[in-house]
Amino acid sequence: MLGRRSGLLLIAVLLLSWEMSARTGLITSENWPPVSAILAGLIHETLYGDLVQVIGATLSRFALGYLIGICAGTIVGFAFALVPFLRRMFEPIIELLRPIPAPALIPPLVLFLGVDDLMKVTIIAVTAFFPVAINTMQGASGVEPVYLAVASTLQTGPARVLMKIILPNTLPYVLAGMRISLALALVVTIVSEMIAGASGVGYYLILMQYAARSADMYAALFVIAALGYALNAVFLVAEKRLIFWYAPEP
Amino acid sequence: MRRWLAQVAPGAIVLALLLLGIQEAVDIGLVKRSLMPAPTDIGRVLWELFIDGQVAGPLAETLARLGIGFAVGASLAVMMGLAMAYWPAVYGLFEPLVELLRPIPKAALVPPLVLFLGVGDAMKITSIALAVFFPVLINTVQGARGVDPVLIDTARTLGVRPLRLLRQVILPASAPFIFAGIRLSIALGLILAVISEMIAGTGGLGFLIIDMQRAFRVRQMYAWIVILAVVGYLLNLLFLAAERRFLFWYRATERT
Repeated sequence: MLGRRSGLLLIAVLLLSWEMSARTGLITSENWPPVSAILAGLIHETLYGDLVQVIGATLSRFALGYLIGICAGTIVGFAFALVPFLRRMFEPIIELLRPIPAPALIPPLVLFLGVDDLMKVTIIAVTAFFPVAINTMQGASGVEPVYLAVASTLQTGPARVLMKIILPNTLPYVLAGMRISLALALVVTIVSEMIAGASGVGYYLILMQYAARSADMYAALFVIAALGYALNAVFLVAEKRLIFWYAPEP
Repeated sequence: MRRWLAQVAPGAIVLALLLLGIQEAVDIGLVKRSLMPAPTDIGRVLWELFIDGQVAGPLAETLARLGIGFAVGASLAVMMGLAMAYWPAVYGLFEPLVELLRPIPKAALVPPLVLFLGVGDAMKITSIALAVFFPVLINTVQGARGVDPVLIDTARTLGVRPLRLLRQVILPASAPFIFAGIRLSIALGLILAVISEMIAGTGGLGFLIIDMQRAFRVRQMYAWIVILAVVGYLLNLLFLAAERRFLFWYRATERT
């Protein structure tokens, strides 16, 4: 396809003019290192620096917080959908907490939990929780009533109804929520590292900015972008496998 | 009335019990006041902030940044999205670049933006606009590409020119998608406003929250978080009202 080739060409041209403008002195600025210097920095930091540990710290924190958040979100979402009374009891609290932008919760959590992993995993989990809980609740309460009526006509047991009807019909919603959570949780991971503590890619990024090592700062940015891209790609593959039978309405 | 009470009462009771519980736990010293002040104390601080008008300055500052960043980001995204959906050449040209930039968590762009634009409003507005841009763009492209081809062909047959076609046919027809993108991006924009104020700030809600924490003025910190939560809540309400007003026809066709 000609179209896509022109787009890839545009990216190449942009990168090349970045490189040239920095090399030829068209733009001489500490903040504008040539692309090749960024890549060299990236390779150097990976081989001889501690970039690998830095990424590991970020990823493990992210993974733990995200897992806790989506598990809690799924459980709460199902509980709310299946037991309306629970929903009536606890929905107002959730509705009160939900509009708070997650980064604003970092300062109070720092007071309670310090600046280390515990605080970060908690805020990541809280961030991942809400979209999954809301989506799961919507999905599970939106199951086609006819299916449930048929099941009850056939005297299907509640466990079977849950496993065979409610769960599969809710899965696409749960996964949609998990996908929203993924992006948000990554943002909050980076932000929490930027604001508090002394490890992870977010901390590294802001440290390099303060140290005016702009090539290494951009290298960190590349790493973060790659993380975002890879996580999303992995998720899409998993989603396709899990709900291969589900085609969203056009 | 009784039905309404049964709906609302359990939630209200749990909420009241929770607040009472925190109040009691603080009063008997179960939770340190330096970590979690009593809800009544937070309420008192809030009251004072409102009474002497201290709330207005920082609130206006954050809202102005959010408003400008949002307007810039969303309008650029809608224009570019329509162009990408309408002209395949434009789509081919920009799609790879968009896919390359989209997955970057926008918060990570704050430090480089600080280098270029300093710590002032320009940096904050740019990061908000960037956060808003991508969800609106993606949704606009998706919506505009899904417009019923019959609509477009009819307009073309009637001799409608591309720009007018985009404005009067494709834009309204893809409005439900655009609104969905905008709704996502309002929350993201607010997050970026708070983050940029936290990382490089001298004012605004985000700055105050982290500044109060560092100064151990815990009651003030919670008060500003409450204010921020109310802002988030009201923005969402405002958006839903706008959506109802502009998309009344969409809801109506949905129901039938």
